[in-house]
Amino acid sequence: MTSLARPPGSFRQIARGQLADPQVQAAFDGVTGRLKQHRLATWNGLEDGEALRDRAYEIRMRTIDDLDRHLSTFTEQVESRGGHVHLCTSAAEAREAVVAIARAAGARLVAKSKSMASEEIGLNAALEAEGMRVVETDLGEYIVQLAGGHPEHIIVPAIRQTAPEVAKLFEQVEGVPVSPDLQELGRVARRQLAEVFRTADVGVTGANFAVSETGSICLVTNEGNAGLLTALPPVHVALLGLERLVPTLDELGVLLQLLARSATGQRLTSYTRLVSGTAGRGETDGPEEFHVVVIDNGRSRLRETRYREMLACIRCGACINVCPVYRKSGGAAYGPVYSGPMGAILVPLLTGLERAPDLPHASSLCGACTDVCPVKIPLHELLLELRKDLVEERITSTRERLAFTLWSFAWSRPSLYRLSTAFARIGQRLAPRIGPGRAWSAGRELAPIARRRFRDRR
Amino acid sequence: MSREELVERFVRNAEEAHFRVHRGEPPALEGAGVSVALYGLADTGSVVIAASPNEPRARHLVGDVHVSLLSENRILPDLATLFASLERPLPSSLSIVTGPSRSADIEQRMIVGLHGPAEVHIVLLPA
Repeated sequence: MTSLARPPGSFRQIARGQLADPQVQAAFDGVTGRLKQHRLATWNGLEDGEALRDRAYEIRMRTIDDLDRHLSTFTEQVESRGGHVHLCTSAAEAREAVVAIARAAGARLVAKSKSMASEEIGLNAALEAEGMRVVETDLGEYIVQLAGGHPEHIIVPAIRQTAPEVAKLFEQVEGVPVSPDLQELGRVARRQLAEVFRTADVGVTGANFAVSETGSICLVTNEGNAGLLTALPPVHVALLGLERLVPTLDELGVLLQLLARSATGQRLTSYTRLVSGTAGRGETDGPEEFHVVVIDNGRSRLRETRYREMLACIRCGACINVCPVYRKSGGAAYGPVYSGPMGAILVPLLTGLERAPDLPHASSLCGACTDVCPVKIPLHELLLELRKDLVEERITSTRERLAFTLWSFAWSRPSLYRLSTAFARIGQRLAPRIGPGRAWSAGRELAPIARRRFRDRR
Repeated sequence: MSREELVERFVRNAEEAHFRVHRGEPPALEGAGVSVALYGLADTGSVVIAASPNEPRARHLVGDVHVSLLSENRILPDLATLFASLERPLPSSLSIVTGPSRSADIEQRMIVGLHGPAEVHIVLLPA
């Protein structure tokens, strides 16, 4: 069981609440709209973006074809520099591995930088159950943690919170009023977190990529928090999704050119760090222990399916920002970790389709996601494949399957087809009044059907 | 591309990334952290800082003001040339720094100087 779990069928209900709240609508529309524009501005400055995407797709798929070999090279390299690699099959195993490392270090305070893999395995609760204090140091994640919620966007976790709401959350920590001025909020966060960086016993980071040939972890941030966690605490644990391996530095360079551009519209983020092991000889900071916890959690299984291209995802969030369904429904409707088109595919694949039968339908299949994906994952096609699986695995309701069976029966027979078109005008007037027809027509304008059928005109 | 063009390209992009670039005359910055950059990247205006006994991993990530000293003949065209030029084994930690510490996590509006320096300088040293 992972913390990807969500009440099945909850999408519609949560999205409805979201649609009714104008402030939240404005927040999601504003943030995704700005990210979309930033991406476009730098993307257009690229000389040959298409060729870069093709190359990235090729690199990702070739690596996934040969993941076992790359993982063993990576492991050898990390171990040769005094690090440890823990390969974990399930979310529970990964949680236990990190807890064991922290316990052995006698940790009381664990500081974290943003990691979707950590959200995926539900790490914070496991560490807290051991009596450890866990603090998120990415500003967005810190806000989400104080609010007691879940990240709603993989790049902008606190997409929902406005500056005055953040001020209220910081006030609870400060014990005195905090101004909602943006720069002041930055200063308050800096002060509150500086102590955490200084005193943390263990630093937990994610890993945007891992390079096999050099045994390095690549971390990308704008705030610099991940870098501080690879420098100050005596123990560094990096959580690595199994599929994020890259064979060589040269290939990492290609992916780095795409990641920040697609995520925030920057050529590179402020800080791109390559960590290769513990503190070197004579160095005055850097950890004594370096652990990489590699998380499989269903990824190996995916390699054998027709959804394997989803493993190419580099978690940039570009598909989320352009998705008309996400922009209106918000992130919570998809569940606590991954959202938007990538989430609508990944969550059913990692947790089982029967636990997220509504997510493949959280798309208009417009294909905007596929158009912006920097590694060319055919996202909307994968969503369509998942819908097919819903029917074939009989997860779709009996009523819906019956309706489509009858429709297909009728329209494959000329006499019944003619009969149906004769009754179409009456049917169109009745449909908005009954059952599924009412729901379907509620948000649509139905074009009137012609008085005389085309076939009757001579 | 000539050396001079490469340097100009570097300066333009570094300034776009919110570095203050100084040529020749170093600024008087008391209390600033100072690092010696291993390389500069012209395409992105980045400085590359490698951890070593003289260069702690965190130095460029703490304090309010940070200065990178960069020799003009260490400017490379881009990320690809950097990765091709790096000697193995890699330093225990390598940072590619492209601007100040910043965050747009609140309302997608920019806060500069979140955990690390808000003010970042590069002093270009003649080759």
